[in-house]
Amino acid sequence: MAHLQTSFLTHSQKVCRLYKAAARTLESYFIHRHYVRYQITLLRHRFEEKKDVEDLREAKKLLKLGEEELFMKQHPQPRKFALSDGGSAYMRTVVTPDYVLDWWHPDEKAVYPDYFAKREQRKKEYVEYYEKKYGKAPEVEHN
Amino acid sequence: MASQLSRYVLRGVRFGQYSCLIRTVASRPTVLSSLDTHSRSRRDVSPTSLLLRSDVSSPPLVALYSSTPKLNREQIQDRVMTVCKNFDKIKGDQLTKDSHFMNDLGLDSLDHVEVVMAIEDEFGCEIPDADAEKLLKPSDIVQYICEKEEVTA
Repeated sequence: MAHLQTSFLTHSQKVCRLYKAAARTLESYFIHRHYVRYQITLLRHRFEEKKDVEDLREAKKLLKLGEEELFMKQHPQPRKFALSDGGSAYMRTVVTPDYVLDWWHPDEKAVYPDYFAKREQRKKEYVEYYEKKYGKAPEVEHN
Repeated sequence: MASQLSRYVLRGVRFGQYSCLIRTVASRPTVLSSLDTHSRSRRDVSPTSLLLRSDVSSPPLVALYSSTPKLNREQIQDRVMTVCKNFDKIKGDQLTKDSHFMNDLGLDSLDHVEVVMAIEDEFGCEIPDADAEKLLKPSDIVQYICEKEEVTA
């Protein structure tokens, strides 16, 4: 769920995200580590120059310009971590979803009585936790 | 020295000789363990098991790229502390595992972003921005990586 934005972002959070995305984009463009580092230092200097802008309107305009520049300069084939979304090994090993265990035949479940008793208890606790946090789910009529 | 001894002992076992040597050697636990390793590796006849065996001190000759070695908490902690120590704006003597990056070490938010990027590079995994903002101490990072790698101990 971490990729979904569910809360309001402050200006500094947006600036930090822009800086990180821009630095990662530079890593996609340049291969040699020392040169990447040099480019990131130049990028950092551009951010540092505008650090003391007090006027929020001006700051917002600068942020928008930065985001536009990042969009225009995005890499066609960005570097990704192997296991993250878009990486070369993303979803290579498919983890069996947990709900598959609920589809076991009762005879199969009877082999592991302790585990499944605990599992039912955990499900009940999760429903309680969910209802406490998000409220009761509305009744929906299924046709 | 120990391996030479154990070779003698093995020969002794095979030919029924040097029984006195075995008795003297058997009282030493270190030599006994090396004898044990030696005899075990002799029993493994398949070449794959020889290449992959990890009970000897040398690393295995074949790397399995299908899986990564399981990390433990100390290793994660060491790696996180090394990354933090090598970050040029953090002074090594101020750094502890519970020092706050902004309050104690005097980093600003962009420095913190760079620390998190270095951690990502170290562990080869992406840390989403929403999670990264909460990792304000080296111990928080260790805990986060442990949860991500499913390290319990």
